[in-house]
Amino acid sequence: MTAGTAATADPQQSGTTTTEPAERPALEAVSLSKRYGRHWALRDCTLTIPAGRVAALVGPNGSGKTTLLHLAVGLLRPTDGQVEVFGAAVGHDAQALTRVAFLAQEKPLYRNFRVREMLRFGRDLTPRWDGDLARQRLEELEIPLDRKVGRLSGGQQTQVALTLALAKQPSLLVLDEPLADLDPLARHDVTRHLMAAVAETGMTVLLSSHVVPDLEDTCDWLVVLNRGRVQVSGDIGALLESHHLLIGPADSAEAVAAGHQVVTRHTAGRQTSMLVRGSEPAADPRWIGRPLGLEELVLTYLRDPAATALPRQPATPQN
Amino acid sequence: MYWLTWRQHRAQVLATAGLLLGLGVLLLASAMDATRYLAEHVVAGCPGPAEQCHDVNVGLSQRYGLVYQAVLGILPLLGPALIGAFWGAPLIGREFERGTNKLAWTQSVTLGRWLGTKVGLLAVLVVVAGLALSAMVGAWLSVFDGVVGPAFSNAGLFNLVGVAAAAWWLFAFVLGAAISAVLRRTLASMAVTFAVIALVFPIMVFARDAYAEPLRAAYTEYEAILDQGAILTGNAWTDPSGREIAGPPADLCPPAPGEADSAAGQQKRDSCLAERGFISMVEYHPVSRFWRFQWIQAAILAAATVLVGTGALVWTLRRRH
Repeated sequence: MTAGTAATADPQQSGTTTTEPAERPALEAVSLSKRYGRHWALRDCTLTIPAGRVAALVGPNGSGKTTLLHLAVGLLRPTDGQVEVFGAAVGHDAQALTRVAFLAQEKPLYRNFRVREMLRFGRDLTPRWDGDLARQRLEELEIPLDRKVGRLSGGQQTQVALTLALAKQPSLLVLDEPLADLDPLARHDVTRHLMAAVAETGMTVLLSSHVVPDLEDTCDWLVVLNRGRVQVSGDIGALLESHHLLIGPADSAEAVAAGHQVVTRHTAGRQTSMLVRGSEPAADPRWIGRPLGLEELVLTYLRDPAATALPRQPATPQN
Repeated sequence: MYWLTWRQHRAQVLATAGLLLGLGVLLLASAMDATRYLAEHVVAGCPGPAEQCHDVNVGLSQRYGLVYQAVLGILPLLGPALIGAFWGAPLIGREFERGTNKLAWTQSVTLGRWLGTKVGLLAVLVVVAGLALSAMVGAWLSVFDGVVGPAFSNAGLFNLVGVAAAAWWLFAFVLGAAISAVLRRTLASMAVTFAVIALVFPIMVFARDAYAEPLRAAYTEYEAILDQGAILTGNAWTDPSGREIAGPPADLCPPAPGEADSAAGQQKRDSCLAERGFISMVEYHPVSRFWRFQWIQAAILAAATVLVGTGALVWTLRRRH
């Protein structure tokens, strides 16, 4: 199969007819656990990311994000449980590997290769390789093909690594902290190119970050990981719609809390703020309710690791 | 994968080819020089053990010694060590070190195939290189026939000719790769590979005596056996009834005062003992066992290669983290 003919077929289309039935979630983890020695990096994680989503995996440093992504792309084997990409575990299965592309946090490339040789590497090792797409992208970015990878700037190296991942034409693109170590301009460029590619191909994206504002405009699915456990997983729109912050006097907090599904409660002096699920306002007029932004929502959950917002039926957000 | 293997390891391949070529030129020059010397000093029946050959023998020996001391003496050990360190250790070590394993192993080639193709291709090249070395050394040695004994009795040369170098190099390559799969650091893997080769090499040299039951001959044939290039492994005594004993009775044939440690005294005592039926025997492996020993050693190294390689493969595939 040569690049440019069958290889450039719309992955969505080829997916629905053969390998990736639309009803198959892009990623599904069941009781996924990973232990290093005595330390559990990931414990009993169950989550689903439906196909076609741009999912953000957020959590503080050391919460297990990289471990989860490495398990998903087959670089690690789970201690317990399982994780599948379009219904197949990635690992010893070349077919499953073909459907997923991974950009590791360090954006590894062979530093002594020329950019052209990195493209050859991609062409030789992936059957769906789109060489035209790769060359076109690098041309737009003004990255010379004859330059040694080690002599490119950090932003250019990220772009080359991202180009390799995109030209693989994956159905699921997994990115570990793709924007870390980039200056604001490069950050913007990478995001823009990534979103353009997503819009064009309809592939599913799972990207991790510990900076929430980066994700607000680009992602539509949220997974919050905290201390190795999944705290939140769901559609961002639905999550924002179904959560409200209620603020009012502390003395009536108990009464108000009784009428709501309280996720977290925080009292400072005479004022109490509660994160509640459900949209009904408080009956008490002294209380005001307001919606939350994504960052506020994430931070509120992260401060209280015991609170969770997980769909009862995986993959179908309530809205 | 073929291109990738070449691109990532061409430095080692080219350097090895270059060094072999350099060695080949050196051996060729030495062989031509020795041949010319022989042509200029024609003495009937020489080179050989005859008395009149002395000068010719010395001339050739010097030419042999020059190359042997400069290169070939150290090569049996240094060759495998370098192959293990520079071909084997970076194979997996460098990928882990630079994080590029996360790139290479998430393309559409499974880890098993990636490892299999790389190790397989490079193993073929290593074996070819080892055989080429042995062929060159063997051809060069043939020029010095009659002056220098067969490679069989020289532990160093034995590991440079026949199939020995290829077996050693293959073992060293897989060993280096296996160690780097466990250590995940190139430099540390190189050092450990060096150390393991340095440890295994003398063990294999000593083990060689045990590849077959040694033959026995009367002590009097000692010189002849040595001249044929046999490996001497030890000596034994038999008493008048033909039984093997640890040594002759101490009070029999006492050495004359002052002669105890001299060769002449020793010889005198041995013949005295022989007259009384106590015979000193030498144990040896005849030179005709050359290929048998070559193949036994190659088989042992090949088995070790498979064992180490499989172990590393299972380790890499199972314990991914």
